[in-house]
Amino acid sequence: QPSFVVDEVSSIIKEAIESAMGGNAYQHSKVNQWTTSVVEQTLSQLTKLGKPFKYIVTCVIMQKNGAGLHTASSCFWDNSSDGACTVRWENKTMYCIVSAFGLAI
Amino acid sequence: AKIRYVNTYRLESRKKFRDCLVRDKAQAILMNKLQQAKYDGISSPSLCASVSEEILKAVKELDFDRYKYVVSVLIVEKAGQAMNVASRWVWDAQRDSWVSAKFESETFIALALIMACYYD
Repeated sequence: QPSFVVDEVSSIIKEAIESAMGGNAYQHSKVNQWTTSVVEQTLSQLTKLGKPFKYIVTCVIMQKNGAGLHTASSCFWDNSSDGACTVRWENKTMYCIVSAFGLAI
Repeated sequence: AKIRYVNTYRLESRKKFRDCLVRDKAQAILMNKLQQAKYDGISSPSLCASVSEEILKAVKELDFDRYKYVVSVLIVEKAGQAMNVASRWVWDAQRDSWVSAKFESETFIALALIMACYYD
């Protein structure tokens, strides 16, 4: 009975964010590219784990402007096998929140 | 020990997920709960969580057969900043689907994402 290992997934996400946006400042023209690359890299690494899971990855990138941002999620699934992992990352000019959900088949 | 079920040999859901129904329900819940609200650093987190739970409850009540749900709600204060949201999935394209609903007011924008995955 495979289960969702949060630490493994969280390190995959952190790696994907670092490699896509590591030392960059917020640039409106690049944001689209960054979000897609973070999400695609995370997803491909997750599938490489080879577990029988369906994955959902959501990434939100927001410019730092003093505005507030809140996210909440609720899920209806099997607690013993499914799980979620959310990673918050920031640098001087932007915030990035990535959530990964894994649902066992 | 895990409960074992007898095989039903059914590969499809008996009552399939209907996105139009869910989108209307989600939009109605967002309108109801957020019409009066003003963005507020203190009350917004709990508002966000309660909206997401209500949407989950409403989708469960619609009673689609054999689905797991993930509901994600985002509330962002409007301050002239730019924001980008992207999502990708690895799932069964024929049986799983998603719905999104948006609500905008003077001080904030709320976005709800509902994903339904077939499970047997």
